[in-house]
Amino acid sequence: MTTRVLCLGNVLLADDAFGIVVAEQLRRRRPDLEVRESSTSGFDLLDDTLGAGRLIVVDIVQSGALAPGTISIFREGDVRTVPGGSPHYVGLFEALRLGRALGLAVPDEVTIIAVEPADCRTVGGAMDASVRAAVGEVMRIIETQAAG
Amino acid sequence: MPDLTQRRILIDPITRLEGHGKIDILLNDQGNVDRAYFQVPELRGFEKFAEGRLAEDMPQITSRICGVCPMAHHMAGTKALDSLYRIAPPPAARKIREMVYSTFMVEDHALHFYFLGGPDFVVGPKAPAAERNVLGVIARVGLEVGKRVIDMRRKLRALISLTGGKVVHPVFGLPGGVAKRVTPEDKSQFQSVAAEAVEFARFTLQVFNDVVIKNSDYVDLIFSDAYTHRTHYMGMVDANNHVNFYEGSLRVVSPEGREWAKFKADQYLDYVAEHVEPWSYMKFCYLKPKGWKGFVDGADSGIYCVAPLARLNAADGMATPLAQAAYQQYFATLGAKPVHHTLANHWARLVELLYAAERMKQLADDPEITETNVRNLPREVPSEGFGVVEAPRGTLFHHYKTDEHGRITKANLIVATQNNAARIAMSVDKAAKGLISRDNISEGVLNMVEMAFRAYDPCNGCATHSLPGNMPLMVCVRDREGTIVGTLQRDSDGTIRRNAG
Repeated sequence: MTTRVLCLGNVLLADDAFGIVVAEQLRRRRPDLEVRESSTSGFDLLDDTLGAGRLIVVDIVQSGALAPGTISIFREGDVRTVPGGSPHYVGLFEALRLGRALGLAVPDEVTIIAVEPADCRTVGGAMDASVRAAVGEVMRIIETQAAG
Repeated sequence: MPDLTQRRILIDPITRLEGHGKIDILLNDQGNVDRAYFQVPELRGFEKFAEGRLAEDMPQITSRICGVCPMAHHMAGTKALDSLYRIAPPPAARKIREMVYSTFMVEDHALHFYFLGGPDFVVGPKAPAAERNVLGVIARVGLEVGKRVIDMRRKLRALISLTGGKVVHPVFGLPGGVAKRVTPEDKSQFQSVAAEAVEFARFTLQVFNDVVIKNSDYVDLIFSDAYTHRTHYMGMVDANNHVNFYEGSLRVVSPEGREWAKFKADQYLDYVAEHVEPWSYMKFCYLKPKGWKGFVDGADSGIYCVAPLARLNAADGMATPLAQAAYQQYFATLGAKPVHHTLANHWARLVELLYAAERMKQLADDPEITETNVRNLPREVPSEGFGVVEAPRGTLFHHYKTDEHGRITKANLIVATQNNAARIAMSVDKAAKGLISRDNISEGVLNMVEMAFRAYDPCNGCATHSLPGNMPLMVCVRDREGTIVGTLQRDSDGTIRRNAG
């Protein structure tokens, strides 16, 4: 089964650069893995999911309940789609559901590796040391998952 | 400043829109809406970030403001560089830019209708929550239509990548031209996809006609007073006063539909000013000669609006034949010009979808599009540049001042949502007052209040690119029954106030 790593982030928004930093390092260390990066959200992500058997998504996710740099791992099925959100939002999970409904080649298995940010809103801000420190561990998790 | 001892209803967050917003609704003692506020608690700082950077990097940097309309920022930035270096692009480069821009407009408008605005109109404002989503839209229009939308979008994005380098953050606009010519093979791809896009746009207008116009409930909603404002309208027009997304003059018409002003990008500061409110991080644009008169309708108020509804109102017609026919049908059906009904934005967007597809086709058919001269090299010392385009969500201004080396000393961006901010605030307030009371706070009604601003398709992430600082913050505390037990408020000066419920 093809595994693809999809790293999400925006290099201009402080800790939101996390996914992009992981993508850069992962490409150097593991040229055998298929690594993609994206700075968009929602519906545009559908294109990056199609054709992969298994998808590993790397992103920051602000829960507000965890210390910055904390890593969480969950599967698509663990998430209630946009809990409390608007019916008009198209996020990654809605894009996947739409893809399935239309019979497109969306991945069967989606794992999300999420890191809690300290700040993801300051334009031109630097990554927080606690978040940067999570890069190595996230790389190890990806390599283990990709091997499994 | 609102009296925080009043009852409060929050619709938070307004997801689906880029960035995050919040609507704060205050009830009076009688249980009716006293005032509704549209809030944007998103923090950016783009203009400050731009200072000291090379102006030539701005089309790339600004396209990263958000992932929704990067091409609009890229193109406004590129045009500001033409102005900054006082260099006009060769004819082929000008046409390539407009062709790629039209491709982007087709994609963005189609996406909005089917997937973002669709849950309101295609599925219906009062449909059960479980159906009001993208899958609900697909269930309504059919799987085959869903596949067609996805396929159309994929082809359009492939063309943007082909010429723009990257679809999300294009790299092809340069001062005085573009980075890459269009080959005869590229041209035939554009011709083929453009022909398909024209058919797709006609089909989409038919869907709108079948689903919305034939449903009297929806038509009543479009005409309802809750979604109506008599303001000025602004949009870019060509020499014939037809809608143009890429270049021309900014035309403003009065609430009666008369031309009130017509100006070029470099005159924008004579016409547009920004007003600050303590409860919002967003700056509210108004017509400078009219002055800020508050959140009020009418010919004396400086409040204006941009985006599809405004563009159609501000123009005398469309430059392509099928879109012109759709434009005439639109005004004939809605009965008057200008159209003051906010929800007509959804229809106006589809008239523009057809125009964008036809314009793409016209330019792809143009023999000059494959000319190899696509760049004039800048030779002037830079100092100040102005660029303007019509983004999908409305007029977008980029204004840079630089030193003699082309380093930014000051950047000012006025984005579509800022132009619309005052009218959006009025729409939310009016819809809330018309629809909500203590005894009627159903989910469907709350959705209808959200509809008041979704029609504008506001992009809050990029509208709040002002300097970082303390932003007004309101927190509402409720008990299990939902009764408010207290509120916390952090004012823009950083002081925190507590209030009992």
